[in-house]
Formats: sequence, C-alpha cells, structure tokens
Amino acid sequence: MQKNNVKMSERALRLKKSYVVLSSMVARNVRNQYRRSVLGILWTVLNPLLNMLVMAFVFSNIFGRDNIEMDYAVYVLSGTIAFTIMRAATNNAMHSLVNSYDLMTKTRTPYYIFPLSHVFSALVNFGFSLIALIIVMLIRLPTGKVVFSWTMLMVLIPWLPCIFMFTTGLSLILSVIYVRFRDIGHIYSVLLTLWNYLTPVFYSLKSLNLDATAMKIMRLNPMLHYVNYFRDVINGVVPDWKTHLVCFGAGAIMLLIGLLIFRLARRSIILYI
Amino acid sequence: MSKDKEILTNNTVEQSVVQSTASQEQSPYIQTEFGDFDTDEDILLDIKDVEMTYRLPTERIDNIKEYFIKFIKGKLRYQKFEVLKGVTLQARRGEGLALIGRNGAGKSTLLRIIAGIMDPTSGIVRTRGNMVPLLKLGAGFDGNASGEENVYLNGAMMGFSHKEMKKKYDSIVEFAELEKFMKMPIKNYSSGMLSRLAFAIAVDVQPDVLLIDEVLAVGDARFQRKCSERIDQLRDNGTTFIVVSHSMQQIKRLCKQAVYLKDGRIQMYGPTDVVSAQYLKDTMV
Repeated sequence: MQKNNVKMSERALRLKKSYVVLSSMVARNVRNQYRRSVLGILWTVLNPLLNMLVMAFVFSNIFGRDNIEMDYAVYVLSGTIAFTIMRAATNNAMHSLVNSYDLMTKTRTPYYIFPLSHVFSALVNFGFSLIALIIVMLIRLPTGKVVFSWTMLMVLIPWLPCIFMFTTGLSLILSVIYVRFRDIGHIYSVLLTLWNYLTPVFYSLKSLNLDATAMKIMRLNPMLHYVNYFRDVINGVVPDWKTHLVCFGAGAIMLLIGLLIFRLARRSIILYI
Repeated sequence: MSKDKEILTNNTVEQSVVQSTASQEQSPYIQTEFGDFDTDEDILLDIKDVEMTYRLPTERIDNIKEYFIKFIKGKLRYQKFEVLKGVTLQARRGEGLALIGRNGAGKSTLLRIIAGIMDPTSGIVRTRGNMVPLLKLGAGFDGNASGEENVYLNGAMMGFSHKEMKKKYDSIVEFAELEKFMKMPIKNYSSGMLSRLAFAIAVDVQPDVLLIDEVLAVGDARFQRKCSERIDQLRDNGTTFIVVSHSMQQIKRLCKQAVYLKDGRIQMYGPTDVVSAQYLKDTMV
C-alpha cells in the first residue's frame, strides 16, 4: 500500500514536470517567433490576414472560383489556417529531437515533450488565426454570404481534437525518422508543397472537373477532409457522419502509428542523435 | 555537440580493447553494506547489476542512400561497446558518493543512467525523491530568452511551477549576483555569469539527490567559496550527492563513500580515503 502511494506520487511528480516543461516550452516557441519585432504577438493575427489578401488577390480571377458558394476571402482564409496547423506543427516538430540534443543528454525530459511542444504551439497560433478569421467574417458580413451559427463551436469539439491527433502522430513519426535519416527534411518540404496544392485550400474540388477515379484518389487525402470539415462548420453546415468518421479515424490511426514508432525507437534515439 | 559524441565513442573504443585484460580476483567492496531498498526509506538510490552496451554502426550513416548501399553490400556492421558491467551501488540520504576513475571508465554514462536519461541494457535502477541532474551548467537555457525567463524555464525542467519558482526567484538572483542583468537575453552573458545563474538555480531547489558532473568549479574564487558553503549547507539538510570529479580534495570534503570505476567495472568501493588512495596509486604507475 505504502509502496503504491510512493509510486503514485512519483508518477504525479513526473507528470507535473512534463506539464510544466511543456507549457513553458510552448510559451517560449510562440514568443520566439516574433522576438525583436515591433508588433510582436500581433503578427500571429496579421500573418494569416496578409497571406489571405495575397491569395485572394492572386487567385481572384484565375481558376476555381466559380464553384465556391462561400465568400472567397473566408474560403481561402479558413482553408489556409486549417492546413497551417498541420504544416507548421509537423515542419517544426520534425527537427525538434535533433535540436534538443543538449536537453536530452543532460536533463531528464521525456522525449515526447519536444515534438509535442511544437504541436501545441501550432494550436496556440491557430487560436490567434481564428481571431483573424472572425475579423474577416465581420468585414464580409454585408455580402450576405457569411453566417455566424452555433456550428462554429464544432471547431473546438470534435474537429480540433481530431486534427490534433493526426498532427501529433505525424510529428512523432517525422521526428524519429529525422534522427536516423536527415534526408527526410528535404523530402518532406517538397512533399508538403505538393500536399498543400493537392488540398483544396484556395480552389474548389468541384471546379477541377476530375473523373471518378481521380476524385477517389484526391479524397484519400485526410487533410482534404479536415479542411472541408472546418469550412462546413464555419459555414453553418453540420458535416455528415461519414466525414466525422474519416476525420476521427485518420487522426486515431495516425496517432497510434506515431506512438508505436516513437515507443519502439525511444531507446535508440539518444544513440543516433 | 558533435565533439561530445566523438569523445564518447573514442572512450568506448579505448575501453573495449582494455576490457579483456581487466581481471577481478577479490571483492571490490570494502566495508560496504547494502540495505533493502523496499523497506529502508533512507536509501535514495539503488542500483543492481547495471550493464550498458552500446551497439553502434562502425561508421556514421545518416542518409538513406548510404544506408541502402551499405545494406545491400552487406557492410552494415555494428560494433558492441561494453561501457558498464555489473555495477551495483547504493546511496543513502545525506550521504555523498563519489565516482572516480580515468577518462572513459564509464562515470558519465553511469551518471546518465542514474539520472534516468539513458536506460541501462540490463539491471535495475531505483530512485526515491526529487533528483536534480547537474550534468552541464546551463543545459536547457534558451539563449534568446532573458535571464528571468530562463530561471522559470530551468525550474520547470526540475518540476517546479511558475508560482513555486517565483518564491525562489529573489534568492536565486541574489545568490548569482546578477540583479542588473536579469532582463538581458542570456546569449549576451559571459560564461561565468551563465554558470553562476545555472548553479544558483540548481542549488536553490533543495533536491533530495543532486547529480554533479565536474561542474563545481564555477566563477571566481569568491563565488567558489560561496558555492562550497551552499553545498555544505545542502548536505547538512540531507541532500545526497553523487559527484563525478577529478579533484580528490573536493571529493574527500563532500563524500564519505567512493566508487572507483575501471573499464566499466567497479574496481573498488568503500571509504573515500582508501579508494582515492588506491586510485592515485594506480594512476601514478
């Protein structure tokens, strides 16, 4: 009994340590992004806004706009910030283990903290981006195409936990592979560009006029479903149960694979880093 | 960073060669009694039969192309390095334990295993209480952040929340004598200032077990004296020290017991005077 209590309290202490380290690392990541900048944290809101303006300007008349019923500014911005969670988190998390060599060999910090801190930083940035989205929606309210509805709450549950699982799983996998093979850094940056274009962030899937097979292949991309889900709930539509299932399933599977790989590689990480 | 690793591998190569000649005739334990970890609350660290073997590729391969070429050619060879073998030791509350031995004897690896940074290949490591590893001063510091932020960040690594660190903050700054510089990014600190801050944080959290790897010589003479006083104070309050050091003087002052490691095995384990004398005799030859 006594022994159990000691074990419990030690586990609690370890969990508390992890929590404290994680939260201070996330705070540091977010702050470091905009260190020495005049506007500071305001950039987290400005950045997606300006990006959206560029996208809206470049793609205003080129292609794919006709089939979009949503307001185009809102369409582009919502797609961008949904995709950015995944892109920013995985891109940073991939390097996290290698960059934390000093911490890993000199302090007793659980390894998963390093990739996880970047996922959480991406979520915090996403929170700021939501402010930008709401600002744009307010500005575009007079067009009559923008609605504010209760379905927006579904962004927080269940959408956010699903994409969090997906992103975390992928981040864990990438960070482990990067320890052994630095090539993945170059490969992944190319893949990420391709992935970005294959996901309907600034165009609509309908406007591509794809045949059935191509459409099927396009729909294998989990990010497409995450982006569509996000847009639907922003637009006041509740997605069907299939989309729910895909979003949750992709997240759960990716997380499981990630945890498995991370667990298998955990012991050897320190030897190869 | 990479320098660190080179040293590590060099050591292990040297060691594996010497390994075969090392012989054990008599028991290395002198006047040492081991208690039962489960029943004796005073035992903060218990290590049994710890063995550490590295399996490393003979050359460094970190891209996929090379890996596959070697794989296909069948040239993917691994070399085994026995860094530690059959290490058994215990440390009690308020007792100092020194690890001595030549470079590459496995002292730092043992310390890392004790700290829980590495898992041993086999054997049992059990610990009690809050353990603070001080293996490198300033590990976990963020160069871009100010001294103040780093105090909290470093505290977090030891398991203290922002609120708890706030209480300690003033005494840390006072001890490090860095009142004027706490708002400055620490990449602008001198190395002396950096070590003073790191040391001040580590000794202020009152750990149950403090692991020290050659980091006791900090700052100028006056600050060193201050450090010694603080360490004595910690010891009187019941902190257990596990110290790796080459300074026999320091070890004798701090530790009653010493472990003499040679080629990853315990060569001698007992009262510091006896063990350090033997070690010095060995190194003179």
